[in-house]
Amino acid sequence: MTDRSTPPAIRLTDSIPFIRPQSHLLDNGLTVCFLEGGSEDIMKIELVFLSGSYHQNDPLVAFATTKLLGAGTVKMSQEQISEMLDYHGASLQLNPQKDIVSVGIHLLGKHLRPLLGLLQEILLQPLFPAEELQTFLKNQQQIHIINQKKVQHLAMTIFNELIYGEAHPYGYRVKTEDFEGMERESLLQFHRNWFRPANAFCIVSGHLPANTGKLLESCLGSGSWGASEVASPPVYPLISPGSRKVFLEVPGSLQSAIRIGKQLFNRTHPAYHRLKIANAMLGGYFGSRLMQNIRQDKGFTYGIGSNLVSLLRNGYFFISTQVGTGVRQAATNEIYKELHGLRTRPASHSELDTLRNYLSANFLRSFDGPFAQSERLKERLVFGLDFAHDEAYIKELLSVTPEQLMEVAGNYLHEDGMMEVVVGK
Amino acid sequence: MVSYEKHSLPNGLRILVHRDDTTPMAAVNILYNVGARDEDPERTGFAHLFEHLMFEGSKNIPDYDRRLQHAGGENNAFTTNDITNYYLSLPAQNLEVAFWLESDRMLGLAFSEEKLATQKNVVVEEFRQSFLNQPYGDAGLLLRPLAYEIHPYRWPTIGKDISHIQEATLEEVRQFFHAHYHPGNAILSVSGNVIPEEVFRLAGKWFGELPGRKTPQRKLPAEPLQRKQKRLVVQREVPQHQLIMSFHTCSRLHPDFHATDLLSDVLANGDSSRLIRKLVNHKKYFSEANAYVTGSLDPGQLVISARLHKGVDPVHAEEILWKELALLAGEPLGERELEKVKNKVETTHTFSESNHLAKAMNLAYYELMGEAGLLNLQMEKYARVSPERLQKVAAGIFTEKNASVLHYEKANGIKGKEIIQE
Repeated sequence: MTDRSTPPAIRLTDSIPFIRPQSHLLDNGLTVCFLEGGSEDIMKIELVFLSGSYHQNDPLVAFATTKLLGAGTVKMSQEQISEMLDYHGASLQLNPQKDIVSVGIHLLGKHLRPLLGLLQEILLQPLFPAEELQTFLKNQQQIHIINQKKVQHLAMTIFNELIYGEAHPYGYRVKTEDFEGMERESLLQFHRNWFRPANAFCIVSGHLPANTGKLLESCLGSGSWGASEVASPPVYPLISPGSRKVFLEVPGSLQSAIRIGKQLFNRTHPAYHRLKIANAMLGGYFGSRLMQNIRQDKGFTYGIGSNLVSLLRNGYFFISTQVGTGVRQAATNEIYKELHGLRTRPASHSELDTLRNYLSANFLRSFDGPFAQSERLKERLVFGLDFAHDEAYIKELLSVTPEQLMEVAGNYLHEDGMMEVVVGK
Repeated sequence: MVSYEKHSLPNGLRILVHRDDTTPMAAVNILYNVGARDEDPERTGFAHLFEHLMFEGSKNIPDYDRRLQHAGGENNAFTTNDITNYYLSLPAQNLEVAFWLESDRMLGLAFSEEKLATQKNVVVEEFRQSFLNQPYGDAGLLLRPLAYEIHPYRWPTIGKDISHIQEATLEEVRQFFHAHYHPGNAILSVSGNVIPEEVFRLAGKWFGELPGRKTPQRKLPAEPLQRKQKRLVVQREVPQHQLIMSFHTCSRLHPDFHATDLLSDVLANGDSSRLIRKLVNHKKYFSEANAYVTGSLDPGQLVISARLHKGVDPVHAEEILWKELALLAGEPLGERELEKVKNKVETTHTFSESNHLAKAMNLAYYELMGEAGLLNLQMEKYARVSPERLQKVAAGIFTEKNASVLHYEKANGIKGKEIIQE
């Protein structure tokens, strides 16, 4: 019989298969980074503009501008654009966020030439036709109304408003009427102001055809794509929200959504790496204390987790779950117990060992292949960090002690300083 | 093209290996040939509940998840109407840990009343979260029993009702394990930075000594040909009227499957697809439209759904959809439109070939369907679908009597009331 009582020996990975990006600055000010790798004929082109909803004058403008890039250009109608994309088997990812806007396309290398031409067309010459804008807003308004029926969604938006305030773009809660009355001029203006090569970078990853660089330069490096100065972004002061508890009753709910957290800082903060490890121990993976206690031991929920979110100008921490309405209070109490425990109950040797191995493999996973690495590169470029910052995380992971984790939790995740939102019953 | 090597153990376990040295990771997939269709109609949701219990400790290892995480692994599982599939990925050098863990839970589970009780609660919360506590969440619960009368596809994997989960007993868990969880009823596939001979050696070492058991023969009732359209109208507190039309189709293994799948793409895959282009963007009847095939191993469904804008008459909306379907049945697709949907399939397929986990899953699934090598024939099968074939298949599917139609009406203060419409 095979001895099943002793686990096979394991080994940590000691090297990261890092692909060094090749960077070029095009004449019009656009930075392009190439990450080559992979064996299939597939690639991804992603343009990141360093402006998002933070930069807009009215609600939803960044969102609509980004989502409607393909709604019609000087030369092409919405129908022609979507047909051309679909015909070449490509999909466009239009992803407006708070600080950035990302425009990505996944494609087979053999279709690079026509698709780059199309990308050029929609990035440089969008028209945002009024009719397409109205259709889009009407459809998005319906999705918004449906989301207002979801306890989880409500808890998220209320929480953001609490920690940043409604006057700050990070905290603004979109209203149903925001989908009405938007003019295409606002979109044209947002596009004119921020969709500029000097305000962007481009990452090209995957198996790259030989002429990729040249094609890209001729399509996106064009001088006609305004090389003019980019305006400085608006400045919104951050509030110090303190700690509050909000309960929103939604009659008829079968579950309550709970969100507990606070305003914090982003990944450029000196304590970030250590705090990220403490957060993982609390609620960042299946073996975390919250998941083990509240799902695996108590059976209160299908899932619970905690997160650190990095925004460009700030960051926040939150715990999120949905629980049966009957155990709402019990679950909330357990969450606070675990927050308290994070600063008072040291990780055992085995707990820390497992966490370390898991997180270091996860780090390796985040470098698995050119597409995964393009995500890492994007993150570094947006926050102005380099690979040494990633390496510092691994060093921290291998050396951090249980006492240091308790200390960092005590400094930043003290259970008394939390904002709490419950939506449901 | 996914190259692979195959080996079988005397106890019936089949093993497939694909080597991909562009990744430092390895993926391990174990497919058990048991799904919701194998459940007792009085214990629906059981296969999925059982999937949860597979993580609650095995004969020699009380803590599956922690051991895997310790080796840098990540895992998950899903249950469908046909199969239960477990998968993990970990740094390739720790591959043997996966064999240790997976073979031990195939050898035997550490059953206990407490763990069963906790996981019942977790699954009940999953039921509420995914199906009951959000608008339109119960569509699957309503549509399946409408479309199927006697085949076990008439209930969803989560189960017909929460009470079925709450009533499950430990003895039933034991019997289910004995009947379905053994080498002959499983397919193991490994993909990533691995050497096939080494994988086969590990398989022999860890799984070789597991006893083979007889695989029960499935005797599922065939769904009789539907002769009359079925209709259901429900009233719910939803913001918009939603219309769902579901049609009986062939099975995943039938030669017409690829044409059927392409039909759903023509309807609603991408902004240039017919429903999105004409009815969402141009005519503005719908705020969203969708179409998909279930792709099940027994005859499945092609499902179309649409959410109506305020002021659009549901009767009219349904007529409009029927007209679109009649077009597909009435005339062959143009060359370019057909080429377009095939190109989309090609991109999806090629991207999946760059993902070691997707490759492991696919190898196991195609092996279940007959032979892992079928995976590499898929592109050709899609490519061979002709406009005439597509039209013929559409004409067979999109008939009035083949349809099950579900309307979600906005309730006027009335909750949960259901009306069956003749």
